[in-house]
Amino acid sequence: MTMSTTVGTLAGTQAKPLAGKAAAVDQYNYDIVKKFAIMSLVWGVVGMFAGVWIASELAWPFLNFDVAEITFGRLRPVHTTLVIFGFGGSALFATSYYIVQRTCQARLWGGRWLPEFTFWGWQIGVAAGVILYMNGFTQGREYAEFVWPLDLAIAVVWVAYFLVFTMTLVKRSQPHIYVANWFFMAFILATALLHIFNNLAVPVSLTSLESYSLFSGVQDAMTQWWYGHNAVGFFLTAAFLGMMYYFVPKQAGRPIYSYRLSIVHFWALSFLYMWVGTHHLHWTAIPDWTSTLAATFSILLLLPSWGGMINGVMTLSGAWDKLRTDPIILFMITSLSFYGMSTFEGPLMSLKSVNALSHYTDWTVGHVHSGALGWVAMITFGSFYHLIPRLWGVAKGMHSTKLIYVHFWLATIGIVLYISSLWVAGIGQGLMLRAFDEYGNLGYTFIETVTFMHLPYVVRAIGGMFFLSGIIIMVYNVYMTISGAKRSVEVDVTAGSAAVAR
Amino acid sequence: MALSSDKKPAQVETTGHVWDGDLREYNNPLPRWWLWAFYASIVFAVVYWIMYPAWPVFKTFTPGVSTLTIEQDGKMVEVPWNSRNLFIQEMQTSPSAVRQREFVDKVSNASFDQILADPSMMAFARSMGSGLFGGNCAACHGQGGQGNLPSYPSLADNDWLWGSSFTTISHDIEKGLKGNMPGFPTIQGAALTDLANHVLSLSGIAVDAASATRGKAGFAVCAACHGAEAKGNPMLGAPNLTDMGWSNIDVVGAPTVDAKRAMIEGVISKGIQRQMPAFTNRLTPVEIKMLTVYVHELSGGK
Repeated sequence: MTMSTTVGTLAGTQAKPLAGKAAAVDQYNYDIVKKFAIMSLVWGVVGMFAGVWIASELAWPFLNFDVAEITFGRLRPVHTTLVIFGFGGSALFATSYYIVQRTCQARLWGGRWLPEFTFWGWQIGVAAGVILYMNGFTQGREYAEFVWPLDLAIAVVWVAYFLVFTMTLVKRSQPHIYVANWFFMAFILATALLHIFNNLAVPVSLTSLESYSLFSGVQDAMTQWWYGHNAVGFFLTAAFLGMMYYFVPKQAGRPIYSYRLSIVHFWALSFLYMWVGTHHLHWTAIPDWTSTLAATFSILLLLPSWGGMINGVMTLSGAWDKLRTDPIILFMITSLSFYGMSTFEGPLMSLKSVNALSHYTDWTVGHVHSGALGWVAMITFGSFYHLIPRLWGVAKGMHSTKLIYVHFWLATIGIVLYISSLWVAGIGQGLMLRAFDEYGNLGYTFIETVTFMHLPYVVRAIGGMFFLSGIIIMVYNVYMTISGAKRSVEVDVTAGSAAVAR
Repeated sequence: MALSSDKKPAQVETTGHVWDGDLREYNNPLPRWWLWAFYASIVFAVVYWIMYPAWPVFKTFTPGVSTLTIEQDGKMVEVPWNSRNLFIQEMQTSPSAVRQREFVDKVSNASFDQILADPSMMAFARSMGSGLFGGNCAACHGQGGQGNLPSYPSLADNDWLWGSSFTTISHDIEKGLKGNMPGFPTIQGAALTDLANHVLSLSGIAVDAASATRGKAGFAVCAACHGAEAKGNPMLGAPNLTDMGWSNIDVVGAPTVDAKRAMIEGVISKGIQRQMPAFTNRLTPVEIKMLTVYVHELSGGK
């Protein structure tokens, strides 16, 4: 294990390589961060392409081409797994490994190979999972479709991640643990808990990929949604708040607005999220009291969620002038706005009377995407535009600032098209399904609601295409940045200078 | 790219901790509006818990003080709020449920002929029937009952394989149907061509007359179900072969006589196997009755 002896330099933002041994023993393990960052973008493109494809299938069903492997039912978990675990998960590994090292002033624990194991384990798990889905092997649990052998493998990888992250915290050379790391810690612990309990299952046989859930009926549904909503809460919210808490103050060059608020909303969020999953099951066979608790805890969750938004927005508020010159700040403020909006919409939809309209419609899908595209993806893009030049040591920043603007507008227009079309589709379908005619009979058949949704589905697919073209432009920009960095290193070497900007 | 930090004066003290060079935290108090809104959400939750079933207590739960009034055994009684009682109340009092029940009572006690003669009952049958048809029948038979060849016959024409009386239609919806014609793979070559030509000639389609005449002898085996006159037998679901009503092949749409004959030959060789599920456990008797009226009317009401 390579221990850093560098004294923390409080003034500079650049890590200082050990004098003498030069680049051979870096203060931080950036290699693993780079790998995860690149794979995050790869999975992002593939996963968002899958999303655009299935959205297009809903609008134009001939796109199935009668090929079982690419029908909606098979590709939908491919899309969700690739964007949540492939894109989002890899982005979280990358940023958490970066943040924990920089804020602890300690090299990543576990030597070279344990972080490397988390990388290969995670990538192979995601890839194997989606190939199996396309061939029809799935657990049938939403966002937990991995078959049981992969569940076991992922649990091992996750324990390794826990050890790497926690031990790096333990050996930190800073007296205090930075707020971003609390959120990552909560994310890692909660995800372990959720993953293990939701996937408890009895395999059909040791040679079979199939298994039976340990739970049945209502208990199974409640376990699934306890998992499902906390995947949103801890994977897609808490962890990305960790990302926000580092990159927003870094990019704005300002202190976090309120330490006190960060403590209060961290603990409130962690405590409250665990209760709300059952709001996915309102008006079903669950006991009424579980429905009540889920609805009320969802309302209680609104302000703690907004605590994160307030801390982010108020941190940026001294730097509004940068909105004119820095597209990264644009990504960040937009992501925080969508975070605030979707965490307002969520509790609203958790109320039983609203849920009676919204449930089983595309309003839910639109809501998820206002969080997933607006918050999760936008904060990741913003953070990566900050991170990539620093990882590869490009002092001037990204290859093209103009392309960051282009990405920003493509993404923002895409999100707006996406969620507004699904408001129309979802609320429209909900109203049609509950309409009665003058005889007290149902006013519409299901197929009439499907016909109605065709146009919103087309707009939604177009919104997805906008968003996808945005990330493709980002990939090009990142590629040019990195290859530019490599060229400048070569130039330095030929000039006889070993000084490589890190 | 804004990589440098701006050095605006702080409005309040930071905590004094510094990470990674320049990461600091102000120690601003919680925003008042945020704090009060959070308290308000707690009040909302507590009120909700007092009103409705909320907290588990050993083997039971707090039922809440909210109640509903429903009719039980002819008396109005006050019952605790729960989703089941809410459903009962809605079915008893909501305007659409009341209206529907009024008509359901009426049509339950009416004969098919009475329904046919009463415009308001017919309007109800169309309203309920179109919804039921869309939800249960349209997936196979098409939204307008136009059918979907080869498996799903049209319900919109006046060609009834199994009979068109109300009791027959209602029985078929209840119990389902199995349409089965055996295949005759042993009939081959010229014999097959001749027989197919004969079948086409029955509907008055111009074919090779000599061949059709030769095929007449072979029709004896078909006559067992379709009848000597080829007029069909609704008891067996055997269609009339003389009326140009083809329920599984698109003879009318085939461009040439040869193409038409090839279709007939295919049916003779392979037979027909199709099945419609029984709806007796999915629909109530009144629903089946209304669907019967609706389906009957789809074909012109004959």
